[in-house]
Amino acid sequence: MALLEIREVRAGYGPGPDILTGMSFDVEAGRSYCIIGPNGAGKSTLLKVIAGLLKPRAGSITYQGNRLDDLRADQVLAAGICYVPQDHALFPEMTVRENLTMGAYLERDRNAIRERMDRTFEMFPILGERAGQDAGTLSGGQQQMLALGRALMIDPEVLMLDEPSLGLAPAIAEQIFTSIDELKALGITFILVEQNAERGLACAEWGLVLDLGILRFEAPSDEILADPRIRELYLGRAVAGEGPK
Amino acid sequence: MTNAVQVLILGLLLGGVYALMAAGLTLAFGVMRIVNLAHAVVIVGSAYAAYFAFQNLGVDPLVSAALLMPVMYLVGVAIYTTLFRRIEGSARYVEMTVLLTFAVAIVVEGLLAFFFTGIFRTTDPTYATDAFFVGDWFIPKGQLYASGVSVALLLGLWGFLRYTRIGYGVRATMQNRSAAQIVGVNVRRTSSIAFGISTALAGASGALVSYLFPFFPARHWQWVALLLALIVLGGMGSLKGAVVGAIVLAVASSFVVDQAGPIWGPMTFYLALFLILLVRPQGLFGKEVTI
Repeated sequence: MALLEIREVRAGYGPGPDILTGMSFDVEAGRSYCIIGPNGAGKSTLLKVIAGLLKPRAGSITYQGNRLDDLRADQVLAAGICYVPQDHALFPEMTVRENLTMGAYLERDRNAIRERMDRTFEMFPILGERAGQDAGTLSGGQQQMLALGRALMIDPEVLMLDEPSLGLAPAIAEQIFTSIDELKALGITFILVEQNAERGLACAEWGLVLDLGILRFEAPSDEILADPRIRELYLGRAVAGEGPK
Repeated sequence: MTNAVQVLILGLLLGGVYALMAAGLTLAFGVMRIVNLAHAVVIVGSAYAAYFAFQNLGVDPLVSAALLMPVMYLVGVAIYTTLFRRIEGSARYVEMTVLLTFAVAIVVEGLLAFFFTGIFRTTDPTYATDAFFVGDWFIPKGQLYASGVSVALLLGLWGFLRYTRIGYGVRATMQNRSAAQIVGVNVRRTSSIAFGISTALAGASGALVSYLFPFFPARHWQWVALLLALIVLGGMGSLKGAVVGAIVLAVASSFVVDQAGPIWGPMTFYLALFLILLVRPQGLFGKEVTI
């Protein structure tokens, strides 16, 4: 049995049309995934549905054999699935330390919170240096590090990241991907949505290609990166692989 | 100089009570985006409860403030659960809260007028007309006690928001509701608690108001306008802004009253409201909203 099973999920916003039009796929424990696809494919919507922020109109999501699609966002998090949205969703008028404390909102064990905060400061030393600074005053890269660090405070089994490199300078984005590589070693199952598809796939073991709200194709990341047809259709590269098309 | 210091003392004491009255209003807006036009009618209703307790049972208004808080907390949770949860997620949620609370204010005002009639009331504990004298200045005991209770309650609220787990949840929801959900805050429950606290603060304010100002059922319209001016000046949703706005405007109003007469006192609030909306619409501590 897969860790997370998504079956025939349909979802959309308000009275609008379905963005996810029958999405199905499995997530295996400990594996890292990168979801790619054109704009409007439903990548971010899929993460919101799994996170409990958007209720599916049809279909089911099960996690460790239990239905997830009826749960609120806080209940999904309590189950072990953490989501980091594109805009980082920080608390701008709280300090770095307070934001990290909020990440462990569901954790009651103060020792565990302290240990995780130390681990986060070790992983992202800049956060330790700015612990007393308001999150709203951090740079984009530091905010992304804080968003990642905050997600780790709950010790998630599944971590979903939506466009972690969005709006970051290439060197800072590379730091974030390096951090993700380090986090994979902790045994966390990653689901990554990334516009920089080549870098995202290079960071993940498995690739999922979405289009028009359904899963078009899935395979090990290196196979996707090597597939000339996929490269041409979804990575914006010529078959030979040189330069943007 | 002596007179100016005296006016300043009276303004600061009044500002403390206004700050308590405004804190609940801004909390409701900050956490739940509820523009609560019924906040002042809850204050008036609580003033009547304190009046009833004082007249019939001899309960001191300061004791009533403590007794009313848990009762009004439960009333607030009940109001939030029955009225506001239904409209959560509505596309015109904020506008609907204005209409809904306007309707609540009219209904409660009508009920108060039915039971207590429209005549002016006030409780008159002995300290309400007594004062401490310090040199050339006097400090009215009633205002000092009311201001002291207000400061204590505001410090309690600050400590609650700053150091408790639920307080963290309330602050998080005020700053970013969807982010609060993402980190595991049950925003519905948190909103209920925040509205309960907001109503409890209105309850305590009502007990203090019961001996500071004469009141009658329709008095709440004047107060809600004044309170809205305070929180717009401070920045809607900002507790710090509500406190600063209350103190600044209460002191300014006291000087205007001293120089120009009592009829110009309320003008200070509305003039400040116009000016802040023209110059800095987000208020002193509010966040700029871009559309």
